[in-house]
Formats: sequence, C-alpha cells, structure tokens
Amino acid sequence: MYFVALISEIRRYEQLMSERSFNTVFIGGGTPSVLDADKLAFIVSELIKRFSVANDAEITVEVNPESITPDKLLSMRCAGVNRISIGLQSADDAVLGSIGRAHDRETFLNAFELVSKCGFNNINVDVMHGLPGQTAASYIDTLELVSSLGARHISSYALILEEGTPLYDAVRCGDIELPDEDATADMEDMGFEFLASHGYRRYEVSNFAVPGYECKHNLNYWHNGEYLGLGLNSHSAMRIGGKWARWENASALDEYIADVSSSRLPVRNMRDIEPDEELFETVMLGLRMAEGVDRAEFEKRHGTDIVTRYAPIIVELELDGMIVADETHVRLTERGMDFQNEVLVKFLDQ
Amino acid sequence: MSFPRELIRNFCIIAHIDHGKSTLADRLMQLTDTVAERELEAQMLDSMDIERERGITIKSAAVRMFYRHADGKTYMLNLIDTPGHVDFTYEVSRALAACEGAVLVVDATQGIEAQTLANVYLALDNDLEIIPVINKVDLASADADNAIHEIEDIIGLPAEDAPRISAKTGLNVDEVLARIVSDVPAPAGDPDAPLKALIFDSIYDNYKGALSYVRVVDGAVRPGDRIRFMHSGNEFDVTEVGVFNPRWQPVEELTAGEVGYISASIKSVAETKVGDTITLANDPASEPLHGYKQANPMVFCGIYPADGADYEALKEALDKLILNDASISYEPETSQALGYGFRCGFLGLLHMEIAEERLEREFDLDLVTTAPSVIYRVVMNDGEVRMIDNPSNLPSPMEISKMEEPMVTAHIMTPPEYVGAIMELCQDKRGIFENMAYLEETRVKLTYRMPLNEIIFDFFDGLKSRSRGYASFDYELGEYEESDLVKLDFLLNGDICDALSTIVHRDKAYGKGRAVAEKLKEVIPRQQFEIPIQAAIGGKIIARETVRALRKDVLAKCYGGDITRKKKLLEKQKEGKKRMRQVGTVAVPSDAFMSVLRIN
Repeated sequence: MYFVALISEIRRYEQLMSERSFNTVFIGGGTPSVLDADKLAFIVSELIKRFSVANDAEITVEVNPESITPDKLLSMRCAGVNRISIGLQSADDAVLGSIGRAHDRETFLNAFELVSKCGFNNINVDVMHGLPGQTAASYIDTLELVSSLGARHISSYALILEEGTPLYDAVRCGDIELPDEDATADMEDMGFEFLASHGYRRYEVSNFAVPGYECKHNLNYWHNGEYLGLGLNSHSAMRIGGKWARWENASALDEYIADVSSSRLPVRNMRDIEPDEELFETVMLGLRMAEGVDRAEFEKRHGTDIVTRYAPIIVELELDGMIVADETHVRLTERGMDFQNEVLVKFLDQ
Repeated sequence: MSFPRELIRNFCIIAHIDHGKSTLADRLMQLTDTVAERELEAQMLDSMDIERERGITIKSAAVRMFYRHADGKTYMLNLIDTPGHVDFTYEVSRALAACEGAVLVVDATQGIEAQTLANVYLALDNDLEIIPVINKVDLASADADNAIHEIEDIIGLPAEDAPRISAKTGLNVDEVLARIVSDVPAPAGDPDAPLKALIFDSIYDNYKGALSYVRVVDGAVRPGDRIRFMHSGNEFDVTEVGVFNPRWQPVEELTAGEVGYISASIKSVAETKVGDTITLANDPASEPLHGYKQANPMVFCGIYPADGADYEALKEALDKLILNDASISYEPETSQALGYGFRCGFLGLLHMEIAEERLEREFDLDLVTTAPSVIYRVVMNDGEVRMIDNPSNLPSPMEISKMEEPMVTAHIMTPPEYVGAIMELCQDKRGIFENMAYLEETRVKLTYRMPLNEIIFDFFDGLKSRSRGYASFDYELGEYEESDLVKLDFLLNGDICDALSTIVHRDKAYGKGRAVAEKLKEVIPRQQFEIPIQAAIGGKIIARETVRALRKDVLAKCYGGDITRKKKLLEKQKEGKKRMRQVGTVAVPSDAFMSVLRIN
C-alpha cells in the first residue's frame, strides 16, 4: 500500500515540479533497503522519469548491512543509483548488541564487499560515538576498519539521547549506562584526529570525506537550498511565489495513504519563513560546514553582507577564538564547531 | 431598627490545620440557610486559591447567620474565621478579641496540637467562652473519649458533654449551634456611648478600596459619619457599612455588639491596621481598645524578577499586594548577581512563601528569591548599633564588637516516642532545652529556647519527618542574644556571589558551606571553562567543589528534516540563557538561588 501511495505521490508532483531541476536524489530515512529489488529500482526510475534529474546527479540509497543482496544492488545500479550509504554505527559486536542492531561486524564486512563488487565506489559509512559500552579503542577500531575498506565518506555522529526513544527510557531507568560527557568528547577528539590523518577532511560537523567525495545532497541542506521530500513524514523547503516555504508530509501512514489516494498532496504544516528567519537559517546551516558561509552567496540571497549584519557578534566571537571572517567566508574555528549551539544562540539574539 | 443585642452571638472556631474548621463553617452556613446548597463551594470562607489548596486560612473572614433556636427566638450568629498559623498570631488575637466565644474543634483521630493549644490560650486571655467539639467521629480511627480526656487534662476544660460531630456528614452539627446560643454570652457594650469599633482584619477591594472588618464594641456607625482611626489618627468619611451575608451586604448602621465592615474610600489596607480602634471624629471615645500592636516583619529575603526586564512589573505587583497585606514591607535593593529587586519583610516563613506564591500566581511573575534572613543586631566598635536584614550589608568583622540574634521560645508537642529524635533536632538547631512536661501519657510538651534563624529554614519539615507528622509546634518571640555569627560567602570562579551570602553560627558554617557548594555543583551547568565553587568565611576557604568544563555543545545531525526542530532547540537554549544570572564570568540559573535554600 505504502509503495503504491509513494508512486502516486511522485506522479502527483510531476506537473508541479516541471519547471525545476534536481541535482541529487537521496533515498533514505528508515531502511529503504528492505524493499525488494524491483520496487527500489522502480522508485528510482520513476523519479528520473517524472522529474528533471541532472545526468550527473548524485543518487544515494541508504542501506542496512543485513538487508542488502546482490540483486538489489545490481538493479539499483542499473536504475542509476551511484552512491551507497551503509548504516554501521559500530563494528564492535558488543556495542551493536547493546543498541539492538540486527547486524554484526561480519555482516557489515560482507555487505561492504558486496557493495564494492557491485560497482559502487562512492560509499558512505555511518558510525557513532558515545554509544553504551563503547570505549575510545572500540570507536577507533571501527574507524580503522571503515577507512581500511576504502570508504570515501564517513559520517560520525555523537549519540543524541532523544526523549521518547527506547534508549532514552533505558538510560533514564538505569538499565543502560552511557559513556559520560567527557569520555564521549575524548572519543570524538581522538576519532576526528584519526580521520584527518587518514585522508578524510571534516567538511561538516559530523561529516568526513576524501576530497571530491563530499555528499552533494547534504551540502544542499547546509547551503539552505531547496529540496522536495516525498513519502511519509518527509520534509521540504522551496521558494514558492517569491516566498521561502517549508512543509512536512503527513506522519501517520493512514493519513498519508488516504490523502494520496484521494488525489490530495499529503502536505502538513505548510508555512512561510520570514526573510529574517530564512537569513538565520542560512547562518545556522552554513556554519556547520568547514568552509562556512559564502559571503557573496549570502549577500546575493539576503541582500546584506553577513559581516555587516552581525558585526558586533562576529567581532566578539572572533576575539573568543570561535569564528573567523575573511574576504570570502565566515566560518567557525575548531573550538567554534565544538560550541556551535552557543555561537548560534548569539546570532539568534540579533 | 437594630437587632436586639441579647440575641447576638459572636464566635470563632479554633482548630488545627486539617481538623475540620472550614468544613464545620460550611456546614453551619448550610444549616442556617446562609448559603443555598447550590452556592456552596467547598470551604466558602477560604476565598483565595492558595487557602483552599493548602487547607489553611490566611485572611480572616466573617459571616452572619440567623438561627432559630428551640426557644422559638431567632439569633444572629457572627462567625469570625481566623488565620491558623503561628505567623499570624497577632491577627488571630484581634479576631478573638472581637468574639465572646470560641468553638474549639478537636479531631477525634488526632487529639490536641500545639497550634490549637496556643490559640486556646489566646482565647482564654481574651475571656472567651470555649465550647469544645469533637470532630470526625464518623471515622474508624476516631477516639472521641481520648480527645475529651485530652481537652480536660491538657487545657483543663470540662468536655464531658462536648458535641461529638462529623462536620463532613453533618452529624450533630445542630447541637453546636444550640450550644453557641446557650453558652456564648451576648455582647456587652453600650450603643449610646461614643463609637469604639475594633478592626480585626482589613481587605482591599478594587471598587470599594480598603475595607475595615470590625466588631462594634460601643456606639454605632452609619454612612456619612466622619470616623477616626485612633492609633494612626487618620480620618475618613464613611461611604458604606455592611454585614457578611456571607457576601458584602450594605446595612443602615452597625451598632454595639455587631460585626460588619466599614467602607470609607480608603486607598490601602496600610491605613486601616488590624487592632486599631475606629471612633467618630466629632464624638470620639476617650481611649482606644487595648491590645493594639504594630505587626513587624521578622523574616526578610530578596525578591528579584527572573527576567530583569520584569522589574517594573514586580514593583507594581508588590504595590498591589500590600494594598491587601500591610504586614509586608519592601524596599528596592540591588544585587550584583541578581540586578534590581526588593528586600521584603514578612511575619514568618509561611507568610513569605504565600506572598511569593501570590506574586507568581496572581501577577504571573517568575521570581528569584534569596535565602531568608532574620534581623541581626550588630554592635560596632564605636558602640553604634546597626540592624542588619541583608547578609551582604554586614560590616567587616574588624569593625564589629559583637553580634546578636533574635531568639524564640518554641513549644513542641509530640507523642513520647519521638522525643529523642526531636531533642536531637532542636540541639542541632542550637536549641537550649528549657522544659519537658508530660501533659498526659501520650503527649509530651518540650520547650526550647532557639535562635529564630534556625527555625526559619527547614525546622518545621525536620520536625514533621522526625515525628512522622505527629509533632506540632508554636513559638513566641524572645529577646536578642549575643551569638558567634559569621558571614558565609560563596565564590564562583573567584567572584563572590552576593545573593548567596548568608549569616550563620560559626559552628554551622563548615557544614553549611560544604552542603551549599555541593548543591551549587549540581545546579550550575557546565560552561566553557572550569568553575571553582568556594565557600569562605572572611578570606578563608572552608569548602570547594568544581564544575568541570563543558567540552562540546553542538548538534551532531542536521539535515532537511531537522532544521525546524534545530531552530526550536536553539530558541529554547536562548530562553534558558535568559533565566541565567551572570555572576562575574559564570552564568548561574535562577533556580540555583532557591535550590540552595533546600539543603539538608
């Protein structure tokens, strides 16, 4: 049912998006790799058919190590997929067990090998630090494994404990113990240093790539660019009639299916973003990147120079060693990256 | 035509918290058809939300009821409801002075408590006829005989024929009405003598201004009269007199023996002080009624807006609050840590808590309050005496010849099995044992002389927890006594935080310093640098804790679906920052100032 609805939604947008072109496609969120080979390939080909997707577009599919098969990979590749993102989290079986993942180190090794064999060379691996039972040694071991396999891109996220998740509840009632803040920070510092010394450039807070393999799709988010989300609970941002707008898709499956099957867009919470808010979003997202906010791009979009607009804060933050502003860019220092939220709160005040 | 004086009965109800005073009052009003069933809100007389929630009476209230007695005559019964807490002893005494009788309600499941006893003694001092009533006899755990036994043994009142009632179900409550008529004397007083009216409470109304709740002792008062407050000397023209029905109902006059209110376009309750005597300006009484006292604040604390921008709003709220409660004092003060605020004085700790709660609730303010302090008497080397209510204003020890603190005599009543634990608590609070008496087999009365500053913090809580809630206590103020007091300061990253300074006895400084430092470590969030927390007396550090530096404050993931949420998180972080106070280099959450009050 969901698959049918998703295809209908894609077709529904065909006319609406006829004037726009897309440089990247990202199929992720949840585990698209559980769909069978035909369906996955059909989604990709449907997107390419209905939308104007660039010839050299980056087309990524997120997969879990335990749910990929040669036929899935091959049909994806035939459909045009050219980048695979594998959710590993950790190569330490004890750690994987504690967060309830279905795969182990061995499964991942086989999966990576399979992806490579099927002709993908642009592979990302997601790993995490600050997981229950994880030590710095275990984390570095994971990074070592992933880099030795030749992954071109590594995302390494510090665990965020979110209310309402089973892990949050388990930690609160003491069933699971997490490494403390300092241990996680130590892990992060060591891991990021390891990645830098192994040819990976930190181009965003949590993202590392061999130069040339940065994820174009995600870079678009950080440039506060337009994107169209399709499927359950996906998010979109677009300039519509001169106004910057954001919306979400229905997050309840029955609502989503009901809307799509009665020819409605499953859109929820469509809202205009005021120019001031849009401008702050550009700062908030841009400062996540190592290169920072491009001053010329910023001025072109928002009609004001970022340094002029935020002069007192930028001066204060420069003195604190948090930020650097040069002729072309405003970017965070390494320390600024560590305290990014505090930096952004200052921008929020203005 | 005024109501025949011999058919008037003025009475109050004395009871411990939860012994059923308000429920009984409700039931009496119902039985006399003073309020229709459908109008009856539980606990009619406690009109403030806080009163209903806490089950206590803060302001006095009154109600007039008409009761048809078995003798065929209809009597006017004026019930004056009194506050029920040690902080308001003076108000209670004035309310009692307005009555000829008191109904003493004793909970058949609990027996007599210290607070009840204190109020019974006040009633006896005022020559009131006391009618004991045993309440809650419907409960399985009720022991009415024991309660009667206690009344006879402890107070020395005959109680054999005390009505055994259930205010909740209404059982035997009519017997109470009959006893009020038969036992309480009709008011004395001369309707033709010059006016003397005792103010037993005053309240502020947005339309009528400050109203005096009075018991007319002699004479009469009518609208148009020019009245004089004998202690303050202020004069006003009466615009309205009325009775409590229980809502205000204007009448033509109030005469000797009656209870009612006087409205005279008075701007603030500060001008119509409880205990003052009202007389006529052109035919004044020769002397006021006895017993007037200025109610002085005993406990002081700093009150600051959580958001500095709300200073004006706080000022306005305090202005309005004292329209209704003249016993609160306040004056502007500044703190390096908290900015602009007020040093406020209260009758006691409960009074302080209630005022804070009313400010936050009725005026929608977020407040930061500093630790409560008593007034210390500081004798300087040159003999000058200074009264210090704010620890930050304490002169340097080098200039001080001696310091004195206010003492109280505390009376504690408890079942004997808790005596040991309570004595330990009193000792810990620097109490000096004075007396222990067995009132009966199951009840001991302990008397201690204690520093007021030890009971304003958590003494009451400590007493309750060490006696499983069975002990009760009451205190009366005593003299100032010399004491070895020191100022305990707290330094955050090397800077003294004035709002945390407190005056303590030297023997307790170490323990307190360590406890507060530990607490601060818990409540101050990690920041970009390490924060040493130090407790110090003079220049000497007596305790130290460290808040380790924050290492990272960054959201790891931020993709298309996270942007709106991420922005909201930042907004929230910004709001949190607003609630922080800057102490030197350190940001301290507003709650920290209050959480250090609650340490064990």
